[in-house]
Amino acid sequence: MNTAQSEDNIIVANALTKRFHGFAAVSDVDLSVRRHSIHALIGPNGAGKTTMFNLITKFLSPTEGRILFNGRDITTEPPARVARRGIVRSFQISAIYPRMSVADNVRMALQRPIGSSFHFWKSVKSLSVLDDRIDELLDAVGLLASRDQAAAGLPYGRKRALEFATTLALEPELMLLDEPTSGLGHEDVDRIADLIKQVSADRTILMVEHNLSVVAKLADAITVLARGKVLAEGSYSEISENPEVVEAYIGGSDD
Amino acid sequence: MFELIGISPVLLFGQLLIGLINGVFYSMMSLGVAIIFGMLRIGNFVHGAQYMLGAFGAWYLLHLPDIFPGLGLPSLGYWWALVLVPFGVGLIGALMERLFIRKVYDLEHAYGLLLTVGLAMMIEGIFNVGYGAAGQQYSVPESLRGGINLGFMFMPLYRVWVIVFALLVCFATWYVIERTKLGSYLRAATENPDMVRAFGINVPRMLMLTYAFGVGLAGLAGVMAAPIYQVSPQMGQSIIITIFAVVVIGGMGSIFGAIVTGLMLGLIEGLTKVFYPEGSTTVIFIIMAIVLVFRPAGLFGKETSAHHPSDIAAARPGSFLENGRLWLIVMAVGGSILPFLVYPVFAMKMLCLALFASAYNLVFGYVGLLAFGHAAFYGSSAYVAAHTASIWGFPTEVAILSGVAAATALGALFGWLAIRRQGLYFAMITLALAQIVYFYAIQAPWTHGEDGIQSVPRGYLFGVIDLNEPLNMYFFVLAIFLCGFALIYRIVRSPFGQVLKSIRENEPRSISLGYSTDRFKLIAFTLSAGLAGLAGGTKAIVFQIASLADLYFMTSADALLMTLIGGVGTLLGPIVGAIVVVTMQKELATLGSWVIVVQGSAFVLCVLFLRKGIVGTLEDFLSRREERKRIAADGGKASAPALDSEAAS
Ligand SMILES: Nc1ncnc2c1ncn2[C@@H]1O[C@H](COP(=O)(O)OP(=O)(O)OP(=O)(O)O)[C@@H](O)[C@H]1O
Ligand SMILES: [Mg+2]
Repeated sequence: MNTAQSEDNIIVANALTKRFHGFAAVSDVDLSVRRHSIHALIGPNGAGKTTMFNLITKFLSPTEGRILFNGRDITTEPPARVARRGIVRSFQISAIYPRMSVADNVRMALQRPIGSSFHFWKSVKSLSVLDDRIDELLDAVGLLASRDQAAAGLPYGRKRALEFATTLALEPELMLLDEPTSGLGHEDVDRIADLIKQVSADRTILMVEHNLSVVAKLADAITVLARGKVLAEGSYSEISENPEVVEAYIGGSDD
Repeated sequence: MFELIGISPVLLFGQLLIGLINGVFYSMMSLGVAIIFGMLRIGNFVHGAQYMLGAFGAWYLLHLPDIFPGLGLPSLGYWWALVLVPFGVGLIGALMERLFIRKVYDLEHAYGLLLTVGLAMMIEGIFNVGYGAAGQQYSVPESLRGGINLGFMFMPLYRVWVIVFALLVCFATWYVIERTKLGSYLRAATENPDMVRAFGINVPRMLMLTYAFGVGLAGLAGVMAAPIYQVSPQMGQSIIITIFAVVVIGGMGSIFGAIVTGLMLGLIEGLTKVFYPEGSTTVIFIIMAIVLVFRPAGLFGKETSAHHPSDIAAARPGSFLENGRLWLIVMAVGGSILPFLVYPVFAMKMLCLALFASAYNLVFGYVGLLAFGHAAFYGSSAYVAAHTASIWGFPTEVAILSGVAAATALGALFGWLAIRRQGLYFAMITLALAQIVYFYAIQAPWTHGEDGIQSVPRGYLFGVIDLNEPLNMYFFVLAIFLCGFALIYRIVRSPFGQVLKSIRENEPRSISLGYSTDRFKLIAFTLSAGLAGLAGGTKAIVFQIASLADLYFMTSADALLMTLIGGVGTLLGPIVGAIVVVTMQKELATLGSWVIVVQGSAFVLCVLFLRKGIVGTLEDFLSRREERKRIAADGGKASAPALDSEAAS
C-alpha cells in the first residue's frame, strides 16, 4: 500500500482478527475506508459486523492485526481516547441515558469538548451555554418538542434519532453507525437516511445496515462480511451481482 | 536460602503445616464461594456463617444427650458428623435459597451481597447470643489421634487426614464441574437458562441444588475445622473476608484457580508467620493488591467482559425531595432545634453518621459502585484526627483536616487499585483493602490496639470557642455536616456530577462519547473517601475516641445499611437512614447482643421489601399521585403516547 493511497483512507484495518474463546468472530479482515465517503458494512446475522465496530472503536482489543486512523496506529489505545480522536459510534441497541432529559442526553456529548467535565465545584447551570446548540441538533432530528422529556419515555424510533443527534453533536471525523434504521418505520427510515446523507458532507461514515435500499441510496462503497471474513467489496451494483453475496444473504439470513 | 539460618526447622515446618492446613480450608471455602458466584452470580457473604454452622453442627451431634436430656439420644461422633452435617447445612442452604437468595437472582449484584451480609449477621448474631465470644472445644476423633514422627517434625495424624481429604473433595468437585456432563449442564444453565430449560431441565431446582452444594462444602469444612480451631460464633466472620480476597486473587470465574490459590496463600501466610510475623494477618490482602495491579482479572481469571455499574438510584429528578437548597435550610433550622429536644451527643452521632452515609452514597448511589470498605476512610481519619489532636497537639479543626487528608489519600490509593473492577469484585476488593487498615491498626503502636486512642481533647475551635461546652461542640458538628451536605449536593449537580450520572446510566455510551470513565469514578471515589474522613475525624473529636470498631467492616456495612434504608441515590436517603439506624441502635441497646440480629434482619427485610428505601418509596408514591392528577386533568385521556409510536413496528 503506497502513501498516497493511505492518506486517502481515514481508517485502515490490517489483518484484523478477534477470537472469543477460540471462536473467530472476525478473522483476517482488511478494511479501508475512504475519507468523506459513506461506507457500508453488510452481511448476515452474526457475520461479525458489530465486532468490527467494537474493534475499530477499541471497545474490544483485536487478537491480531492493526488499526490505523489517519495514519496513526490506534491498536492499543483505550476506547475513550479513540473517541476523543474523532471516532464516535452509535450502538446497535440504542444507547441513550434513559433517565436524563432529551436535552441532557445531547448535552453529555457537547459538555466534554468545553472542558469542564471534571469541575465538581461548578453548578450544572454553567452548562446552559450549550442550550442553543442542543436545540439546533434536536431540531435537525425533529425532537425539539420533546427536549425536556425523560429519554426513556420516547418511542423507539425517536430514541434512535436522539442517539444519532448525540453522536452527531461531537462532530466526529468518523461516524460509526450500527444499524441506524433498524426497527424504524418508513418515515423515520427516510428521515434518518436523509440526515446521514446531509451530515456526510464533511465527514466519513461507516455504517452497518440491513436495509438494502438505504445502502443502495447512501453507500459509496460496500464491504460484505460473512462468518467473520470479507466476502466481497465494491459498489452497490458490483455487490448485488456477486452470486456469492446473494447466496450468503439468502442462505444466512431470514430477512 | 540464607534466611533459613537462625530459623529452626521445627518452627519452619510447623508453620508450613499450619499454613497448609489453613490453605486447604481456604481452598474448600473459596471453591464454594466461586461455584456460587460462577453459577448464581451471588457473592455469598454468609459462607462464613455456614462454615460456622458446620462446626457447631458437629459439636451439637457430639453433645446430643446433654442438649436433649431424657430422650436417650446417642452422642454422635466425628465420623457421623462428617456425613450428616454437610447434608444438614446444605439443607439449611437450600432453605435459604428458597426463601431469600432466589428473590435476588435477577437484581443487581449489590442486593445479593447485602442479603447475604444480613443473613450472616442474623446467624452469627444468634449464636453470639447463645455462646458469646467463648469457643467450644471439639476433640480429635479417637481413630485419628497420635501422629507420625518425620524425624524433623511431628506430624499429627488428624492434620494429615484433613489435608488429604480436603484436597480429594476439592479435586472431585472440580472434576465434576469441569469434566462431566452434569457440570456442563450447570455451566450452560447459568449462561443460557432458557436453552437448558428447553432441554427439560428444572433450572430453579438446579440452582437451588448448586447453592446447597456450595453451602454443604462450607459445612463440611466446618466439621473438619472443629477439632483444629475453636468452635465459636466468630470463626466464620474472620475467614470470609480472607476467602473473598482469595477468590479475587484466583480470578472469580475459575474453580481450579480458587483451589490452587487457596493452598498457595495458606502456605504463604505460614511462611510469613516465620519470617515476618507482624505481616501474617495482612499478607493475603497485600498480595491481592499486588495481583490487582498486574493481573486485574486474577491469576487464573479470564478476560472480563464489560459490566454496567448498577443503576439502582431511586431519586426522581426535579422532585422537591431532591432540592438541596431547600433541604439545606430545613436542616439548618431543624438542626438548630434538635439539641434542645434530644441529648446533644445523640444528635451529634446522628450528624456524623448521616454525613458518613451521604459520603458513601456518592459512590454507591451516584456512581453505582458497590464499595464495601468505607470504614477504612472513616476510621483512618478518626485515628489521624485523634492522634494529631492528642499527641501532636494540633488545634481541633486542623486535626480534623489532617484526618480528611489521610482519608483522601487512602481513598485515592484504594480507588486506583479497585476502580478497574466492577460489581461484586469491587465490593470484595474494597472490603479486603479496608481489612489491611484494620489489621494495621491492631498492630501499630500509635493506634494502641484494642484500647484505641482515648481521651482525645476536644480543644478550642479557632483557639477561642471551648468545644467542651456541649452546645458549642454540637453547632460545630452541625456546621461541618451542613458544609459536607452542601458539597455533596454541589458535586452531584455539577458538570462532573452529570458525567457520573451518565456513567451510571450507560457507561459504554459515555466511553463512546470520549469520557475516560475510570478517571471520573476514581475522582468520585476519592471525594467520597475524603467526606467519609470528615465524618470520621469529627466523630473522633466528639466522642474523644478512635477505636478499632471505626475500622471494622461492620462500619462499612452500617454505611450501606443506612443508605439502603433511606434510599440509594437520593439526596435525603442516607440522612433518613442514619436517623433510623442510630435511633434503632439506641432503642435496642437494652437488647444487648440481639442488636446485631435485628440489624441483620433489617438488611434482609430492606433487600426483600424496601429496595427503594424510605425516600425512594415516598418518591414513587408522590410520582404516582402526580400521574393520577395529570390524567384527571387531561380529562380522562390516557397519557398520550408520542405521535409516531406506531413507527416502531
Ligand atoms: N463478547 C462476545 N463473546 C463471545 N462471542 C461473541 C461476543 N461478541 C460477539 N460474539 C460472537 O461473534 C459473532 C459475531 O457477532 P457480531 O455481533 O459481530 O455479529 P453481527 O454481524 O453484528 O450480527 P447482527 O447482524 O446480528 O448484529 C457472533 O457469533 C457472536 O455470537
Ligand atoms: Mg451487530
